[in-house]
Amino acid sequence: MRQWRRVANEAMQFSVTLAKFIGLLHVTDAYLFSSTPVYGTSMLPTFNFRGDVVLTERLSHRFGRVVPGDVVMLRAPYDPNKMVAKRVLGMEGDKVTFVDSASTLHYQKTTVVPKGHVWIQGDNTYDSFDSRSYGPVPYGLIQGRAFFRVWPPNGFGFVDD
Amino acid sequence: MALRYLKNFLASEAFKNAGREVSDVVPRVVKYICCLQLTILTSSLSLCMLPTLGLAGNLCLAERISTRFDKLGVGDIVLLRSPELPRKIVTKRLVALEGQSVTYTVDPKNSDRSETVVVPKGHVWVEGDNVYESTDSRKFGPVPYGLLQGRVFWRIWPPKDFGSLAQSKGKDPVS
Repeated sequence: MRQWRRVANEAMQFSVTLAKFIGLLHVTDAYLFSSTPVYGTSMLPTFNFRGDVVLTERLSHRFGRVVPGDVVMLRAPYDPNKMVAKRVLGMEGDKVTFVDSASTLHYQKTTVVPKGHVWIQGDNTYDSFDSRSYGPVPYGLIQGRAFFRVWPPNGFGFVDD
Repeated sequence: MALRYLKNFLASEAFKNAGREVSDVVPRVVKYICCLQLTILTSSLSLCMLPTLGLAGNLCLAERISTRFDKLGVGDIVLLRSPELPRKIVTKRLVALEGQSVTYTVDPKNSDRSETVVVPKGHVWVEGDNVYESTDSRKFGPVPYGLLQGRVFWRIWPPKDFGSLAQSKGKDPVS
């Protein structure tokens, strides 16, 4: 009988420690920084299409410190379950000139980014579904800023602006 | 001279005790924050939700599980980040989901003109209950689902209104 109680106690202690650890991991991941694999061709040559692992920090966007040139992770406006990595090219109030990808005549268009929104584009302009197609996105969709690449090893280092 | 005082202070018992207390409290605070991830207290002081949420300010509980698992329905009161002011969280009612069409009065104070719009993919249409005073999708358009932060489900202040917030399925989004 006493054996069972001891075992139960130990199991309880272990689960509590495990719960604490998972809680800490979650808070760090959601509020400090997290590592994310990035796939796809829209950010070539900055990010490889095979998949790079980058560290994203989740503090700058909360304090409004996202500036044009930053690579940010955000929830896609067309699919809330999908996270995309793009570069911010314009903040609210900026004038953005872009080639309308939908038109065949490649006219240049200029728009002003509305209040509370940002203009995002992938580095690979030929193969990127971004603000040129769906317009400026609300700033609130930004989840983090990619600042350091961890994998592959020959790309280890800060993500350049 | 000052350096010696500093060194003495750092070696003193008082400092070590303080350090021990801090290292006791910090994990507890962190654990508490982790528990709070599931529920957040919100204070809704806006005019937009009259008469459901009154002028004097209500404290409500909101949960974040529905938004994450796509379990929101028409008629829910939701918290969302304002598309115009990203630091501000506003309370509105969900009126239509993606693919549904919404008929709304553009400017109820001045005219009866109404427009119909289809909510695009990945977006939702939100409106405040008080259409005369509310800045909502009628002004800034459909909002991406990713801006929704939580669903308000229980009112805890004032005490006479304690209880679940009624689901008003009476708002008909389809024209």
